[in-house]
Amino acid sequence: MNPSPPPQDQVRRASGAALAGRSLVRRLVLLAAVWCVALLAGAGVLLTANFHAAALQRFDQGLSEDADDLYAGAAVGPGGEVFAPAITDARATRVYSGKYWEIAERRADGKLHSLERSRSMWDADDLPASADVIEQLTRKPNNPVHFDGPGPHHQRLRITAMQRLLPRRATPIVFLTAEDRGPIDDDVQRFSLMTALALVVLGLGLVAAVVIQVRVGLSPLFAMRRDLAEVRKGKVEGLTGAYPTELQPLADELNALVEHNREVVERQRTHVGNLAHALKTPLSAMLMEAQAQPGPLAEVVERQADLMRNHVEHHLRRARAAARSQTLGERTPVAPAMEELTRLLEKVYRNKDLDVDPGDPSLIFAGERQDLLEIVGNVLENACKWARSEVLAHVEALDARRLRVTIEDDGPGLPADKREEVLRRGARLDESAPGTGLGLAIVDDLSRAYGGDLRLGVSERGGLKVEIDLPRADN
Amino acid sequence: MRILLVEDEPDIARQLKAALMDAGYVVDHAPDGEEGQFLGETEPYDAVVLDLGLPKVDGVSVLERWRRAGLATPVLILTARANWSDKVTGFDAGADDYLTKPFHTEELLARLRALLRRAAGHAQPQLSCGDLRLDPRAARASVNGEPLRLTSLEYRLLHYMIMHHERVISRTELVEHLYDQDFDRDSNTIEVFIGRLRKKIGSDRIETVRGLGYRLIPVGEDR
Repeated sequence: MNPSPPPQDQVRRASGAALAGRSLVRRLVLLAAVWCVALLAGAGVLLTANFHAAALQRFDQGLSEDADDLYAGAAVGPGGEVFAPAITDARATRVYSGKYWEIAERRADGKLHSLERSRSMWDADDLPASADVIEQLTRKPNNPVHFDGPGPHHQRLRITAMQRLLPRRATPIVFLTAEDRGPIDDDVQRFSLMTALALVVLGLGLVAAVVIQVRVGLSPLFAMRRDLAEVRKGKVEGLTGAYPTELQPLADELNALVEHNREVVERQRTHVGNLAHALKTPLSAMLMEAQAQPGPLAEVVERQADLMRNHVEHHLRRARAAARSQTLGERTPVAPAMEELTRLLEKVYRNKDLDVDPGDPSLIFAGERQDLLEIVGNVLENACKWARSEVLAHVEALDARRLRVTIEDDGPGLPADKREEVLRRGARLDESAPGTGLGLAIVDDLSRAYGGDLRLGVSERGGLKVEIDLPRADN
Repeated sequence: MRILLVEDEPDIARQLKAALMDAGYVVDHAPDGEEGQFLGETEPYDAVVLDLGLPKVDGVSVLERWRRAGLATPVLILTARANWSDKVTGFDAGADDYLTKPFHTEELLARLRALLRRAAGHAQPQLSCGDLRLDPRAARASVNGEPLRLTSLEYRLLHYMIMHHERVISRTELVEHLYDQDFDRDSNTIEVFIGRLRKKIGSDRIETVRGLGYRLIPVGEDR
């Protein structure tokens, strides 16, 4: 078999995760950060380049003026000899000072031949002029040409060359002035550094502002999530907070969903109830008809009708139990339900002594009243059926999230190996006992649907002890 | 003994009527809630067998109207809906016992017998003896405003004693009122219950009259 390619949505999700993860905050912040960094970097580059260009232009201008001065001050002897001006910049007389000049003759081969040099050049090579520079000089005579070149002591020189024609000289003369560009390079570097530093600080500030903005801006969303969690936990019935106009429709939709959910469950329950009613009434009629006319046929009908009743009960309740766990936000105080059940069972089981402690009135079951009645009612009735004389029940809080209902009787109890069975199959273990025997299995299903727990044990009074742990809602 | 049967399903109604008449009762049958309510209010019955799923007016409403009108006749409700919230609703409306359909006729007859035997009153006003108070509707008792936590038999014992607090009640009388007749009873258990009750309400409140029985003594102010 071929290895199947990863599903499309998984790929998309993976690339999305690479971009910004699955957090909205991270996504927004990252997007803003990328944008900030790009803009600031662009601004930095532009600023630095501008500064660099301006500085260089000023520098070149100075050199051009020097070259003009050199040309203006130069004298030509009667034999065509060229004399450098007597007075030049003082720096040009200090050896390797970084300020140089040179007067050169342009020969027919295109090379420059030095005629005069500033004292500062001492024994260094002539100022370099590449073929490209020579070509430019030819193209625009009388105009300065700026270029870089190496100087003595590893100085990086900025050189300006200007080609002029002098009287009594057939060949053009090139006036070159040069200055170490180190200081302006240092300036530019310092400027870039400062600019970068300022921009980084600005960028960090902007990103921090964006983080705060996103956090504050999205806080109603986080609040909504918390509220929704409360709904799920059963603390509140719906999203009732004041949300921003953009979120309110979402809150309304969620409320509608919760409400719809409730309605669906309710409808399902009604259907199930109707079905039970519809099936059980004809069953009753059959059962009674059979009992009224004893005989082999009647016996079969009676037995089968009983069986059908058990099946109907069993499956309908199971279907209902399955519909339970989906309801949201239900709360039921435990004590009133316990008292109602006690009052009911006291009337029916008059010979049994019911000792029921309904527990702290503030205890609230995180679920529907109907289900709590079903859970406790079945166990309590079971205890009443089996008890010789006494039934004990009490409710307690286990912790902030759970509560426990304990119900004991002084009846015959259940041996350990039968306890599992009674929960699993809802079996009626002892045919001589009254009731359908479905009760405990239903209770187990229901409490499980609520994430609860049902345990069977032995009471100190000899009978069955049933402990039911159920989710507890906050007060 | 006259019984009112309110049941809309004709087969069940016919069979139940036959079974009840075989058991020696006089039976009136109403096929819907409206007629049932009318008969219950106008004719003196010893007990009512009431189906909850009725046309026109449902069983719980019929029962509620009877109880509001002060009718104390014991009522056994029949319901196809076996869930506890329906049972609780029925009992809150004033039912005395319930049977879930489908049921065996013998069971109905047995329950009806027990119901007729005890025929306990409903809608009784609050009872009191000194500062001892008892609310039969809520099945609650209190001493000097402090609620008492009683087991069901303790409560019934106190209920009976408070109803007859002006006289001495014999042990046999108490046993007969606490338990159904077919219950295997032991009169010694009464002493146990009296002991437990004394612990909860104060030992000076129940006087033992040697050879005769017990009497409830009023203590505190009767408001």
